[in-house]
Amino acid sequence: MTSPESPDLSRRGFLAKLGLLFNVGVVATLSAPILAYVLSPASRKSNAGYESWVPLGSLDHFPSGQTRFATYRNPVVHPWDGETADIPCWVRNVDGKKFQVFAINCMHLGCPVRWFPQSNLFMCPCHGGAYYKDGSRAAGPPERGLFEYPNKIEGGTLLIHAGEMPTPVSRACNKSELVVIDS
Amino acid sequence: MRHSILFLLSLALAIEVSGCNSAPGKPGPESKVLPPDKILNFDSLYQQNCAGCHGAQGSGGAAIGLNSQVYLAIADDATIRRVTAEGVPGTAMPAFVQSSGGMLTDQQINAIVTGIRTRWSKSNPTDFAPPSYAALTPGDPKRGAEAYATYCSSCHGNEGRGGSRAGSIVDQSYLSLVTDQYLRTIVIVGRPEIGHPDWRGDVAGKPMSQQDVSDVVAWLSAQRPKIPNQLSSSANSSEGGTK
Amino acid sequence: MRLVQQLGEWFDERLQLGRTLREVMEHPVPRQTASWWYVFGSAALTIFVFQIATGILLALVYVPSGAEAWNSLQTLNQQIAFGWFIRALHGWGSNFMLAVVLIHMAQVFLFGAYKFPRELTWIAGVFLLLMTLGMAFTGQIMRFDQDAYWGLGIGASIASRVPVFGPALVNLMLGGPIIAGATLSRFFALHVFVIPGLLIAFVGLHLLLVLKLGVNEWPMPGRIVRRATYEREYHELIQRDGAPFVPYAVWKDIFFSGFILLCIAACALLLGPFGPSGQPDPTIIQTAPRPDAFFLWIYTLLSYLPPAAETPIMLIGPVIGILVLLALPFVAGEGEKSWRRRPIAVLTILLIAVALGTMTQLGEHTPWSPVMDAWSSDPIPTEYLKGRTPLEHQGALVFQAKQCHNCHSLANDGGKRGPALDSVALRLTNDQLIRQVIQGGGNMPAYGKNLSAAETTALVKFLETLHPPGQEPARDASRGVAVGAIEEQPSPKQR
Repeated sequence: MTSPESPDLSRRGFLAKLGLLFNVGVVATLSAPILAYVLSPASRKSNAGYESWVPLGSLDHFPSGQTRFATYRNPVVHPWDGETADIPCWVRNVDGKKFQVFAINCMHLGCPVRWFPQSNLFMCPCHGGAYYKDGSRAAGPPERGLFEYPNKIEGGTLLIHAGEMPTPVSRACNKSELVVIDS
Repeated sequence: MRHSILFLLSLALAIEVSGCNSAPGKPGPESKVLPPDKILNFDSLYQQNCAGCHGAQGSGGAAIGLNSQVYLAIADDATIRRVTAEGVPGTAMPAFVQSSGGMLTDQQINAIVTGIRTRWSKSNPTDFAPPSYAALTPGDPKRGAEAYATYCSSCHGNEGRGGSRAGSIVDQSYLSLVTDQYLRTIVIVGRPEIGHPDWRGDVAGKPMSQQDVSDVVAWLSAQRPKIPNQLSSSANSSEGGTK
Repeated sequence: MRLVQQLGEWFDERLQLGRTLREVMEHPVPRQTASWWYVFGSAALTIFVFQIATGILLALVYVPSGAEAWNSLQTLNQQIAFGWFIRALHGWGSNFMLAVVLIHMAQVFLFGAYKFPRELTWIAGVFLLLMTLGMAFTGQIMRFDQDAYWGLGIGASIASRVPVFGPALVNLMLGGPIIAGATLSRFFALHVFVIPGLLIAFVGLHLLLVLKLGVNEWPMPGRIVRRATYEREYHELIQRDGAPFVPYAVWKDIFFSGFILLCIAACALLLGPFGPSGQPDPTIIQTAPRPDAFFLWIYTLLSYLPPAAETPIMLIGPVIGILVLLALPFVAGEGEKSWRRRPIAVLTILLIAVALGTMTQLGEHTPWSPVMDAWSSDPIPTEYLKGRTPLEHQGALVFQAKQCHNCHSLANDGGKRGPALDSVALRLTNDQLIRQVIQGGGNMPAYGKNLSAAETTALVKFLETLHPPGQEPARDASRGVAVGAIEEQPSPKQR
């Protein structure tokens, strides 16, 4: 065995290290697009935006003083999403002019809450969260009220600003004045 | 030797294959879960939506029994459909059709209506002639008081305040929770399974007439409070203890 | 026969693997470890290979698309010959694998096998356990039904609680803004490529370490592990009392593996495949999502944690748990191996087993969940209605119509979220019943605004009838005195 100090080997060793460095450079260059690809679901929010105004249907479907079930097609959708892109929500017509649109997801762990008009409660089948008709927390493990989509009325149609699954940390419901544009 | 091993092997395989095809774990066609709005089977629909109040087999629940020949004779399909779909405002009967805020489709309501009829309607309607579902003539409260004394007071007591065999029917809270139609139906149909006779059985051999029923309902309706009573007094008053 | 031998020689001349293989097979193991206690690791490996095989078979038909996955499962169940059986094998294989891995881990812990010099073997094992759990969770997503859909929702809700990065994590996990096709695609990649690849790598490492370090000797009380002397002692033991793995110990592994596979096949044949439940359509809200058996205990935990402590425990608890497992061989790397001299270790295993078992059992019954259709499907027993006044009958109707039954049971039917009400009249007086109904409290919503005075009266009247015959209902003694006083006062004036 030649000793590692021999000039030939040290030159070869240097070349090997240089080769490694070269590969590190290539990988670093490649990693930028790969990272962007992997992180795209989280970063695309700032570019194109997940949320937009979606129609829930004519106001006739939502009688005054009642809370009704409604569904919409998610604005960001792929053909292979199938029925998973049909998103349900609860529409409360407060007094004929004011509307509240609640997400279906319980603010504990996201299970689908069901509205019971007889007792004026939303109940969750998973861990027993319950909410009053205005979406505020009534009982159970949730720490907050139901998520509320911003809504507006245009040409007799109810629209909500939606597109992303609400989670317990989604920004608190928009309590600002409702945009009502009479047709 | 080799042939017999092959034969045994193939025999075992054949037995296994045929046995597996009838294995207890094999999911049948019914294992495919239907979306809830596609269920049209009467038993499932009734069990899921109606049994809670009307009883598991259509009787014995807190609400009027649907498995009742008298009820099925007086209520036509249109009535049952309307009540099922839209509910009865002012009573505990909720609306079940989607367009009224319920969870069922029109087809499912129809399946329930026809199911109730075909499952439980047995007797020939001409065997007996109960008073009609809706009142034909307006009732008279004064005559109603007399009819009450004749037919009902033996159980419900003097002036309806409750007797030894049945409770008060002039309780203000009770009357606030029922409609005139409810009173009429229960007078005609009764609750045989929990001891309330139908319109024939109040006095043996003397069924109530069409007019008697209307009058008794009018008499009860006249005692209904105009403004719903206050909680604290009514909660204790119906036993008559603090009057 | 001669031909086979020639062929073997031809290949070995080129591959030169024969000697290595023979060395691996005949590596000496302590005689006493040829025991039925030492078969769980090899059984886990067998099931893993079995899972790969059945998984590949399923992948021949399964379509990992949000729109089609559920339909392809139906095709497997209904149309393809034995498709249901392969699904059942894979599903039961998963349950058995987790069970065997857990038993293997408990055995290794109790026999002190994680101690010096086998720390790394234990650490690789901890990661193998995590990956097996990961396979079970992602596998549950592959069965793309309502449980999978809402299970993802639960996962997203937990992920969202991570400080700062929560929302971004949710988007990364779901592959977009909502649970949809992209979510299934990435969980498919995890289930089929990423985690199995890692599993194979870690299984390799785990096995290599077992071969290099030797099988843990049968622990003897009083035989203390010391870093300085252990390796010499183990070597002496092998010299004195060793036997070649093949065939001395291997036959028990082989028989147990076969037995486990037979159990899986029997379960598959008799009990069939798991689900799928309803379509993964979020607009179907008549659903009560449940996780698979091995995650039920988490479901239970999430329902019993106090809301304020929930987020920290959900996020920090698993990290602490994993760190404890990883730190174990470094904290307790030396000392006594025998479980006879390690009472705390034995108690820990018992405690964990009992806790997990209890929580799983509770998760089966979900007493904290309302029964969403009890109000319309569970009748009040007729004997609770016989001989009652018309007002009390109306109260029974209010009880049903206002969904009280969803959380309160009568005659064991209905929800168990609130207390059973069969004898509520013994516990609460009229006033207390009214207060509880109107104000709620103790995890019950307030019904004050949702009940009319008449409805409240009727409901309370009905509740007051709920007591066993022969036992007097509760009554407020002071009320009797006060009412008596009022009645007595005017009487002298009248006279």
